Amino acid sequence: MAQTEKKGGLLRKSSASKKPLKEKVVLMYDEIFTTEDPSKCNPRFWEELFLMKVNLEYLEGKLEALDGEELMKIKDNINCLFQHCIQALGEEHPIRVVNALQTLCALIRGVHQKNKSTSGFDIINMLVGFDKAELCMKNLMESLDSLLCAEGSESLKSLCLKLLLCLVTVTDNISQNTILEYVMINSIFEAILQILSSPLSRREHGYDAVVLLALLVNYRKYESVNPYIVKLSIVDDEATLNGMGLVIAQALSEYNRQYKDKEEEHQSGFFSALTNMVGSMFIADADEKISVQTNEAILLALYEAVHLNRNFITVLAQSHPEMGLMTTPTSPIPMTPVTPLGTTPPSSDVISSAELPLDADVQTSNLLITFLKYSSIVMQDTKDEHRLHSGKLCLIILTCIAEDQYANAFLHDDNMNFRVNLHRMPMRHRKKAADKNLPCRPLVCAVLDLMVEFIVTHMMKEFPMDLYIRCIQIVHKLLCYQKKCRVRLHYTWRELWSALINLLKFLMSNETVLLAKHNIFTLALMVVNLFNMFITYGDTFLPTPSSYDELYYEIIRMHQNFDNLYSMVLRLSTNAGQWKEPASKVTHALVNIRAIINHFNPKIESYAAVNHISQLSEDQVLEVVRSNYDTLTLKLQDGLDQYERYSEQHKEAAFFKELVRSISINVRKNLAFNTLSQELLLKEFSTIS
Amino acid sequence: MNHMNSAQPVFQTGLLHCVQLMGFLSLLRPAIWNRGVMLSLESFEVCRPATAMGDSVVDPARGTGLDQAPSSAPQGNGGTSLSVITEGVGELAVIDPEVAKKACEEVLEKVKLMHGISSDSLTKPADGSEAEHAPRTVVDLANGDIREGCEIKCLDDPPSTASKIQEEDETMANTVKTARKRQKNNSAKQSWLLRLFESKLFDISMAISYLYNSKEPGVQAYIGNRLFCFRNEEVDFYLPQLLNMYIHMDEDVGDAIKPYIVHRCRQSINFSLQCALLLGAYSSDMHISTQRHSRGTKLRKLILSDELKPAYKKRELPSLSPAPDMGLSPSKRTHQRSKSDATVTISLSSNLKRTASNPKVESEEEPVRLAPEREFIKSLIAIGKRLATLPTKEQKTQRLISELSLLNHKLPARAWLPTAGFDHHVVRVPHTQAVVLNSKDKAPYLIYVEVLECDNFDTANVPARIPENRIRSTRSAENLPECGITHEQRTSSFTTVPNYDNDDEAWSVDDIVELQVELPEIHTNSCDNISQFSVDSITSQESREPVFIAAGDIRRRLSEQLAHTPTSFKRDPEDPSAVALKEPWQEKVRRIREGSPYGHLPSWRLLSVIVKCGDDLRQELLAFQVLKQLQSIWEQERVPLWIKPYKILVISADSGMIEPVVNAVSIHQIKKQSLLSLLDYFLQEHGNYNTESFLTAQRNFVQSCAGYCLVCYLLQVKDRHNGNILLDADGHIIHIDFGFILSSSPRNLGFETSAFKLTTEFVDVMGGLDGDMFNYYKMLMLQGLIAARKHMDKVVQIVEIMQQGSQLPCFHGSSTIRNLKERFHMNMTEEQLQLLIEQMVDGSMRSITTKLYDGFQYLTNGIM
Repeated sequence: MAQTEKKGGLLRKSSASKKPLKEKVVLMYDEIFTTEDPSKCNPRFWEELFLMKVNLEYLEGKLEALDGEELMKIKDNINCLFQHCIQALGEEHPIRVVNALQTLCALIRGVHQKNKSTSGFDIINMLVGFDKAELCMKNLMESLDSLLCAEGSESLKSLCLKLLLCLVTVTDNISQNTILEYVMINSIFEAILQILSSPLSRREHGYDAVVLLALLVNYRKYESVNPYIVKLSIVDDEATLNGMGLVIAQALSEYNRQYKDKEEEHQSGFFSALTNMVGSMFIADADEKISVQTNEAILLALYEAVHLNRNFITVLAQSHPEMGLMTTPTSPIPMTPVTPLGTTPPSSDVISSAELPLDADVQTSNLLITFLKYSSIVMQDTKDEHRLHSGKLCLIILTCIAEDQYANAFLHDDNMNFRVNLHRMPMRHRKKAADKNLPCRPLVCAVLDLMVEFIVTHMMKEFPMDLYIRCIQIVHKLLCYQKKCRVRLHYTWRELWSALINLLKFLMSNETVLLAKHNIFTLALMVVNLFNMFITYGDTFLPTPSSYDELYYEIIRMHQNFDNLYSMVLRLSTNAGQWKEPASKVTHALVNIRAIINHFNPKIESYAAVNHISQLSEDQVLEVVRSNYDTLTLKLQDGLDQYERYSEQHKEAAFFKELVRSISINVRKNLAFNTLSQELLLKEFSTIS
Repeated sequence: MNHMNSAQPVFQTGLLHCVQLMGFLSLLRPAIWNRGVMLSLESFEVCRPATAMGDSVVDPARGTGLDQAPSSAPQGNGGTSLSVITEGVGELAVIDPEVAKKACEEVLEKVKLMHGISSDSLTKPADGSEAEHAPRTVVDLANGDIREGCEIKCLDDPPSTASKIQEEDETMANTVKTARKRQKNNSAKQSWLLRLFESKLFDISMAISYLYNSKEPGVQAYIGNRLFCFRNEEVDFYLPQLLNMYIHMDEDVGDAIKPYIVHRCRQSINFSLQCALLLGAYSSDMHISTQRHSRGTKLRKLILSDELKPAYKKRELPSLSPAPDMGLSPSKRTHQRSKSDATVTISLSSNLKRTASNPKVESEEEPVRLAPEREFIKSLIAIGKRLATLPTKEQKTQRLISELSLLNHKLPARAWLPTAGFDHHVVRVPHTQAVVLNSKDKAPYLIYVEVLECDNFDTANVPARIPENRIRSTRSAENLPECGITHEQRTSSFTTVPNYDNDDEAWSVDDIVELQVELPEIHTNSCDNISQFSVDSITSQESREPVFIAAGDIRRRLSEQLAHTPTSFKRDPEDPSAVALKEPWQEKVRRIREGSPYGHLPSWRLLSVIVKCGDDLRQELLAFQVLKQLQSIWEQERVPLWIKPYKILVISADSGMIEPVVNAVSIHQIKKQSLLSLLDYFLQEHGNYNTESFLTAQRNFVQSCAGYCLVCYLLQVKDRHNGNILLDADGHIIHIDFGFILSSSPRNLGFETSAFKLTTEFVDVMGGLDGDMFNYYKMLMLQGLIAARKHMDKVVQIVEIMQQGSQLPCFHGSSTIRNLKERFHMNMTEEQLQLLIEQMVDGSMRSITTKLYDGFQYLTNGIM
């Protein structure tokens, strides 16, 4: 209702048919859209303009209605308006500032919508004029900076951030937004950091600030020196980094909570009434309905922080005890005042009670755990493009984490045990694991679980080859760390082994379909090399001698798969086809596994024959294995414990370009000026002055 | 009493008195050696009527104090005060309190003056006591006149060396006769008490004893002054007694003690803290209304108000030399540390503010010097209180870790651990190493604390903060060599690259990602097969000749390596501390150092502390003192009993810190984890019966067992279940938790009626009832008891003084002290004592109640 009223100016209710009375501000806008200088007849025109309530729709609509040539004609007035807006930002009275900010938003958006095809330089000319652009933009950025840093109104700051977001996302491709060049020169990085470091402003604007930063970092990332990249990579202030981590954790756990709510809604509905069998038939359909819009912007921010800033890694492990605090049913309030050192952050600054429904009992959480849970949800379903992107980004972030030494140190820290409830896709052949019986383990176990879960659940026709490769790489990197640092992780490696073998099996049974689209040999080689890693270096990181026996047992038990794989790659490598080389690599990699199979199988058969047993038990096989190691010789393979480091620029540039584009569009769509009701602002400022 | 003059003429009289003193001593000997020093009090009482009270007092300070030669009498023969007094009328025994007070003030005056002088003369601001630890410099000479003869004498005669005293006795014997003759002539006129006070044998224990027992203000004042002569550590031991007397006894005692306390508080920040804490804790039993206006509370306020900080305030050239290791600033960028969730509350008080990034600020505004430390302690206690509200161990542990990680944000700070024996700053709490200890309803926890040692806490700057992840250990996964490094490069890097550990260079190249060399593992087996393999793998690439390995070797290495690691405990969510405590201390230190951003600094040290809240540690402190006293008695008497007193910091009447015993786990944990009998566990840990290692461990066990049996008997330590008895890596047992001693026992169930806990398992470790070691054990007990009996007063005194004004359960009833004295069996012959020991051992062995109590503990608390 209010919208329509505004559009046409003020309507008198009784006389709708009459010629509508126009708002004063609309009249003034009209004056601007003439070729005349509006201040000619009214010297106080600009002063008065910013006292008026802004009519965004009208202004934007008007700009949109003009075509390029017409706009060119009134360029001087537009420039004038722009400059006066900037001037008004420095005004004492906040109402003028608010109006100026909103006018700027409308102006920038209006001009851009008109000029989708034209180049960025034209837009600068249109808005500011080439001659004054540098100074004007400098003033604008300085004003915004001081508004953001001042101890002023929170809604004013929020509006500033919205303006900045508006400025950053006006083009689909952020790198084509030439006006950002001025944002690069006149950095507002410090202002963003300040918002993140103070608890109060972080709560209000943290999300916008983080998204803004993530976008700014992606401006001409690969072509020029982006000062935001440089600055973000050297931030070492823990308070700020921690603040950033909190904002991200909050957004991710909010997502987790929403998902969980929806899921429960579904389950408590008619599903519970149905039997398990029938229910599981429908789950696949129902599952798609549960999907919640993923938040790529925040994920991108997390990626940039992890990828660019080494210090941010510590934030991943930083616990947020307040989450536990809030969920304690017993007196949560009296705890806060007794802390003289402030070990408990202000209780209002809580990541909601998001973690409560996820965990049955009170649990301390940290950003990494929240992220792992988020990933487990996102990676469940990679069918639509957004989720595929999100899933891929999750795996990239995990890759960066798996390469970082400090991150590995706390992932493998035996003293930091957590219970991480990952989401598992309901599948026909398995029941949903009971969450409560999860043991408390080092965090790396959760990462491995997540990888195993992914491997097991994505063997489908639309084979996500790229994600699989990343997944195997993460496991490999973790193993390399364990080998190097001799961490003996008490993990049920068997699950990983059988998942990997099943993956090989899937690759072979769908050879023809998959080969049409992918080079499956790279993946097969990686999987086989994981096994080689266990076989040759198992002594450095396996937890017990018997786990080494179990590895052999598993290989022998599943030897059919390896045999088939071998015959397949042998076939393809002897044919002079396109797969000759990659296939022959796999043949070489299989040498030890084949040696093991060929060595033990006859031994087991003869053992069975001697003892007259038709079916050997596991223990008996293990016994045979144990007693026949000494006659087995293995070949040492090269570079098993070496990996290529993740590099964004060479391989992922296209992905990120596309991702940032979709984020930009999304942010722009969601940018609502109207969220910030002007009435509210007016009320706020009328009491101040 | 006069400490500042030692003019030339005194020298000779001093000598003379030395001779006289020896005679005096020989007279007193039986009393001293057999009945303890207190007997001499009687002689004092006898003497008193003979001396005129307070009439002919010479004011020594006025007499010689001002015109003395400043550097005379470096060799202390005979105290000046003694000589002055004898020089005077020669028959006074009692000192006018007025005079004493004046003298005392002048001593302090003098000390202050000294500070002025010394700071001018570019030497360390030191006074008598400090100079002892500091390298002796010119100050020493200058100080000579303050500390003067009598103090040096004290130094020359460490009371702990029994042998030395005996030797002296022998040499004395020669002169005894002549001395005695002289003695007889003079004795009537001499104050025997004063002679005792001036004698070599007059130690701090006697001083405390006279301070407590004497009703004479003069004597009290004299001893108050005399305290200045003792070494700081000696007096520190009796600090609880001194302060308790100060709080609960009459004004004269308080007045006598106060100057000394104030003086020491000015010197040492740690002393100030301890005083403030103890004063608070020992005042807490008073009625709230009297407490508010009590002397103790006032003194506590004075200390906390920081008026006692050194007036001269001279930081050692802070601008010039931020000590070399502090210069390591990880980031050259100056960054403003803005307020965060973690720091917001603290920055309100702005006390524990980290100032390293801007050292200037610190030296200018001079925060209240005790505040950061108090904040540090407070936050540790607050964590404990919050943990107590959580239901499970697992949650407590997780919470503890996250709380500590937040605490880390505020470190390094001008805080220290009072249980440590050296000056340091706390720089980091390795939060993931912290564990919650076993307790049913409270949440005591053990933390490890990384500190940087410094020469002087007051003058050193707080170390700069190094961010958590700024650690590049040699095992960095990021250093994984890229493919394509040639074999030559590889091997050369193995041989020529020095170990980067402890090398600052290695840390400064932090951001150089191109660090391509693979550094050798720091593990002891750095050149083992595996490292060879990685070289080999390159070789094979080079030469294209396959390398073969035997699967059996891999499997063997795996089992060998696992076997080589020392037996460690399994992680048990219900008992998280077991694993942490079992890990050998050195191993833990190495591991934490490797993972710490401060680990490369040479002054890095690791400390550990147990934080207890909700528990009254005053009894623990009392037990610590008694144990310490017994330990030194046994050492002095050369009885090889072994006990391990662990340090206690009383923070308030219901909180405190304990210095953990390292390399020790409770017998309960051992039995639960290993499921072995104690003897089998010994065999597992130390090897077979006849190995050197087993025999050593067994001897250690016996010696410690005998020691603690005596302790348990004398102090009536109760609640002796296996969770309260530790076993260390060398085989010693260590009793902990002295919550029930003397007159108190748990819930009066009537359990534990035996003298001490001696189970058949213990006897088995000793080699059975007929073994030599068991006889050795009994003999040790006898020797130990005889030795303790000889010095009973030293032990009883500690307990007796603390009873003043105390509501502690261990003093319940009226006969605590009498019963304690009776347990020393002063009237028994050694044969009778031997019989007593036999009976007690027998009784304890057979004691059904010990077994009952263990059974009871197993049923109620699951303690095995």
